[in-house]
Amino acid sequence: MYPVAEQQEGAGGYPAADAFEPGGGLGWSRISPRYPWHRRIVALLRAVAAGAVGAFLLWRGGGTVAAVVWVAAVLTVLVASWVVVEFAYHAHGYAEREDDLIVTSGVFSRRLVVVPYGRMQFVDVSAGLLDRWMGIATVRLHTAAAATDAEIPGLPAAEAALLRDRLARKGEERSMGL
Amino acid sequence: MTGPQGQPPNPQPPNGTPQPPNGDVQPPQGDPQPPNGNAHVPHSGPQHPHNGPQPPHSAPQHPHSGPQPPHSGPQHPHSGPQGALPPRGPQGPYGTQGVPQQGQFAPPDGRPRPTFIPAYGAQPQMPYGPPRPGFGAPPMYPGAMYPPQRPPYGPPHVYPGRPPFPMPPYGYAPPPPPPPVRFSVGTHRLHWATAPLRAFVIMVIYFVLLGFPLLMTRTRSGAGLELSPEVLLRFLILSIVAGVAAVAAGLWGWLALRFWVEGDDLVVQNGLLRRRVRRIPLSRIQAIDVVRPLVTRVFSLAEVRVELAGGEHSEIAFRYLGRRAAQDLRAELLALAAGLPGHTPEAPERPVYRVPFGTLLAGLMLRLPVIGTFLLFIFSLVFLIAFQEAAMFAVALPALLGLIRAVIAPMVMYANFTVAVSPDGIRLRYGLLETRMQTVPPGRVQAVGVVEPSIWRGLGWARLDVTVAGYAGERQALSSTLLPAAPRAVAVQLVSLVFPGTSVDAVPLLPASARGMTVDRADGAGTDNVIFVARHGWLCRRTDVIAHARAQSVRLTVNPVQRLLKLATVHVDAPPGLVQVAAADRELGEARAIVESTAQRARSARATSGDTTHWATRRTPAS
Repeated sequence: MYPVAEQQEGAGGYPAADAFEPGGGLGWSRISPRYPWHRRIVALLRAVAAGAVGAFLLWRGGGTVAAVVWVAAVLTVLVASWVVVEFAYHAHGYAEREDDLIVTSGVFSRRLVVVPYGRMQFVDVSAGLLDRWMGIATVRLHTAAAATDAEIPGLPAAEAALLRDRLARKGEERSMGL
Repeated sequence: MTGPQGQPPNPQPPNGTPQPPNGDVQPPQGDPQPPNGNAHVPHSGPQHPHNGPQPPHSAPQHPHSGPQPPHSGPQHPHSGPQGALPPRGPQGPYGTQGVPQQGQFAPPDGRPRPTFIPAYGAQPQMPYGPPRPGFGAPPMYPGAMYPPQRPPYGPPHVYPGRPPFPMPPYGYAPPPPPPPVRFSVGTHRLHWATAPLRAFVIMVIYFVLLGFPLLMTRTRSGAGLELSPEVLLRFLILSIVAGVAAVAAGLWGWLALRFWVEGDDLVVQNGLLRRRVRRIPLSRIQAIDVVRPLVTRVFSLAEVRVELAGGEHSEIAFRYLGRRAAQDLRAELLALAAGLPGHTPEAPERPVYRVPFGTLLAGLMLRLPVIGTFLLFIFSLVFLIAFQEAAMFAVALPALLGLIRAVIAPMVMYANFTVAVSPDGIRLRYGLLETRMQTVPPGRVQAVGVVEPSIWRGLGWARLDVTVAGYAGERQALSSTLLPAAPRAVAVQLVSLVFPGTSVDAVPLLPASARGMTVDRADGAGTDNVIFVARHGWLCRRTDVIAHARAQSVRLTVNPVQRLLKLATVHVDAPPGLVQVAAADRELGEARAIVESTAQRARSARATSGDTTHWATRRTPAS
């Protein structure tokens, strides 16, 4: 088959079903269960704002039916995102392996990023107003490549700080330039 | 002349192994493979894994014999997922040193091969080392440009044992060239001519914005040029004031900028009253350019740009230094960054290739979009003349502008393109009006793309695009070409110089899954211990190469369509640039296996050659 695959121990036995597993007997570290609720609150706030403003404008424009349709559409999107968020929560995961951090995410387009600790330029933790109220934070890894974009949202704040410190330490141990 | 410069540009017959458009696997052994199996290979011992047609393969440790060799015995490492694993370790097929061996990457045809050019970064020949104490001020080594210093006054010095007649009589000797400026010692300023130059620029701006309108007087028929004494007086007074201000500004700017080298840092201080000091670690230098715009060429000035990895405004530009001083500064910074003393003379270089003007012009024109635009332009002109249809201007003008942008502008920019290698990096020189000299130190090239537009493939030509971390924003578009048009063999050889120890053509590529929703039958990917190669493009074929040691991260992505087909794309991420490497449409399990193995290869490559600072004095791990 693939020469790349075979020079790796056990790689030949990578079944397609396990393509998004961390491998090496590890399991995914999951994010906080408060994360979907965070997303839902954001979605709800947006839906209320968009629905109210859009419906009001349409109603002023004389289209009562159009306003009702608009509200129905917004509600549909809200319900859909309510469900999708649950899947998104289950899709997120990260695992700290010996030499690299592996992060997965995505519901419709799935992605999996392997970032070697030595390549991390900096790690930042960010939390907005709502995040802080819910006690969660986002950890983001930066390498020299803009495409890397490894992001772990919805971590409990304390865990996020610990993870950041751990990553920074491991990065420093293995650091090298570009 | 050691390089192929003196030789014909080697127009490479349509390529010994024309990579089949259906993305077929390259034959693993046998002589038609381009980079090896040449009659001129000096060492044809059994230790060389790629030498001509081999007997039914008795070397089980050969890790690159291709995916489906005809001789797939059970002991062969690549006979299938159940096959025995090859011993991993330094014994790759390309030698242990990570340096191509002599004669390995020969052009595919049987022509005499140009003298081998060693990979830059590895310097078996030794003129470039710590300088020996010479008798003049500058250190001497064979081929140094500086003659021994002679006393400037007094009778001509007669060397004992040498006839005096080569010396012209006193007063007639050409003045000895001034000793090079030592930028590593003391504080330096820009060339003094920058002060009058800046004053001149300010005066031109003043004249256009203010001076010329002052000369105009309002008459009955609008504004007119009427030079009455009071108008002239008004103009003169203001001009003198503006002139003084311009000279002051020029002087101020010249006095304000100072720079010096302190330890391992380059320090740039700007400002007289409010000082802004920037301290740049020399080990962070990604590339150094010497640019000479047309205007400054007249005054023999040059700009030195030091590129650092760090975004849009991270470069330092010294505008302007004297031409020689610019060269010296470049050489000193590179020497210091390489870990050598700053007064090390400029590293010698070996020319690799010079793009003939005809090749460049033909290459720029023989592209399908250019030909299409040209036809469109001609048709619109015919319409315009035959039917007196003025609306056709709306087609003709954009087409003409597009042609200028796609052919004329690159032609002016990349004229006289020469590539040379030296221990302190790859040197590119090009430009018709504005000449540039780019130096990319070893290990600073992040990714390389061999681009072959459809017509070029028939001619056996290729272009080399490159990602260097320093160039951001606008400069990225300007400086991301390593070779604008050249025979493919030259391009491939240059890739081997950039990523020592391997060759693009020697990496077996495996086609992407046939289930992919694409017409792109050239899709394929492969790897060896040094590089990861991904090929794609149906009409314009791109072969993107990234060294494992330079990979930032590895990504696996599945979009909704791929998800239905159980496929995935593997990205090997490089810093932002023109070349991004991705292997599209791999089987899902295979893709994940590629991710894992690429991550592992990157790890071991980083462990051996990841650190690129102080490349001249660092001990290579292999040695």
